[in-house]
Amino acid sequence: MELIKRLVTFILIITLLGSLSACGSKTYSKKNNEKKGSKEIYRTLDEIKEDGTVNIGVFSDKNPFGYVDENGDYQGYDVYFAERLAKDMGVKINYVSTEAANRIEYLKTGKVDIILANFTVTDERKEEVDFALPYMNVSLGVASRSDNIIKSLDSLGKDDTVIVISGTTAENYMINNYPDVKLQKFDSYATAKEAFENGTGVAWANDNTEVIAFSLQNKGYTAGIPNLGSNDTIAPAVTKGNETLLEWINKDIKKLREEKFFHKAYDKTLAGTYGNEYKKSIVAESREKE
Amino acid sequence: MDFGYIEKVWPLYQKAALLTVKIGLEGVFLAILTGLFCAVVLYEKVPVIRHIVTVYIETSRNTPLLVQLFFIYYGLPKAGIMLSPETCGAAGLAFLGGSYMAEAFRSGLQGVDNIQKESAYSLGLSKAQIMCYVVLLQAVSTSIPAFLANIIFLLKETSVFSAVSLMDLMFTAKDLIGLYYKTTESLTLLVVFYLVILLPVLVAGAIAERRLRYAGFGA
Repeated sequence: MELIKRLVTFILIITLLGSLSACGSKTYSKKNNEKKGSKEIYRTLDEIKEDGTVNIGVFSDKNPFGYVDENGDYQGYDVYFAERLAKDMGVKINYVSTEAANRIEYLKTGKVDIILANFTVTDERKEEVDFALPYMNVSLGVASRSDNIIKSLDSLGKDDTVIVISGTTAENYMINNYPDVKLQKFDSYATAKEAFENGTGVAWANDNTEVIAFSLQNKGYTAGIPNLGSNDTIAPAVTKGNETLLEWINKDIKKLREEKFFHKAYDKTLAGTYGNEYKKSIVAESREKE
Repeated sequence: MDFGYIEKVWPLYQKAALLTVKIGLEGVFLAILTGLFCAVVLYEKVPVIRHIVTVYIETSRNTPLLVQLFFIYYGLPKAGIMLSPETCGAAGLAFLGGSYMAEAFRSGLQGVDNIQKESAYSLGLSKAQIMCYVVLLQAVSTSIPAFLANIIFLLKETSVFSAVSLMDLMFTAKDLIGLYYKTTESLTLLVVFYLVILLPVLVAGAIAERRLRYAGFGA
């Protein structure tokens, strides 16, 4: 008897949860209607300007693109760009630290206005958020230890694991193109790096910019595969439907390209890591004017 | 709700749930052993070891599991000890749970009336016999509620395993959200799977509690 009672309670809880989530989505869609029928929560350009602060999502552990330096300040290529955007907009910045996997969620729930966290443009992501004009070029790469350089993913052994970061294009690529390769997933750059240095995995697949930077900065590692997959771009992203903000960012990027701002940004933030060798391939403005 | 998606990721959740339960149970089992040992050491006031146990209990209770896992997974390799994520997860749970279990057992041990020990002694039982047949059994019996609360607490703590790249339920859900952006479906599945894991524990615990609470004679 007692067991049946408990079962009934269990079912009640489940239905309650179900109805709760139903309620939730109702109030959600109501709120959406207020924003011109769009599904997402966001602030328009005017609302941001009125508030005086723009929320920008950046990485806090991805040197040299977005990281926190020893003084606790945000630094890097993405951050340099973010500073300029805010200056042009005439507002202050509130940096929000993100991880790869929650970048889209942060935009959808209105936690940030713009994502500037080395966000690669992909077709799947375009369904979820709106990308502005690109400011960087990227493809994938694989780093391995110099005493066991991985030159091709086909040469991996059965028990070899490859490190990827959850929510990145590299993870997606590996799942779709090398479904049999064992992946070890981490939820942040910092932990993935630490584990790789500790001897976990035989290789680390990631954006090639990151892979090259890692092998340049750390002795004993080589970017055995510097180019993998398709050539993609990295662009700022805003919540889907936030047209005023998107248009403004695009206008600003065009202006910045004309004054060769991204070359300057490269010199200031990336040259220390990459030298001038990679400038042409990384900076988007020098390759094509979209 | 996109049921096609749910169907597609269902096996992944299943795998994650099994892993969560497996490591959770390993951790709980080790925690119980650790806790029992520590509680008896404290209760019997074993010299020297008693102090080590106290230090362990305070360290483990006053640091978050996340910190302990980081230490085990990212710190120990620096000292040449390389453990797999699974081992780390179970070890972390055992380290954290050991102190909680020890405290639960200790309250049970202290709840056993002195007169019982004296009676047993006068009947000619040895110290070890008193511990095994008289004190410990009753202590376990009275500490069952606290003990159950600890088991559920530990099983829920598995949700920070993503820090050591263990594909438990939480990390699987987060990972899938990052891959396919189906937040509502992924999170709903997450809640359902946790309930499916934890509710039976609750029910089994309630039954065990009713069946095993026979201690407390002469109290």
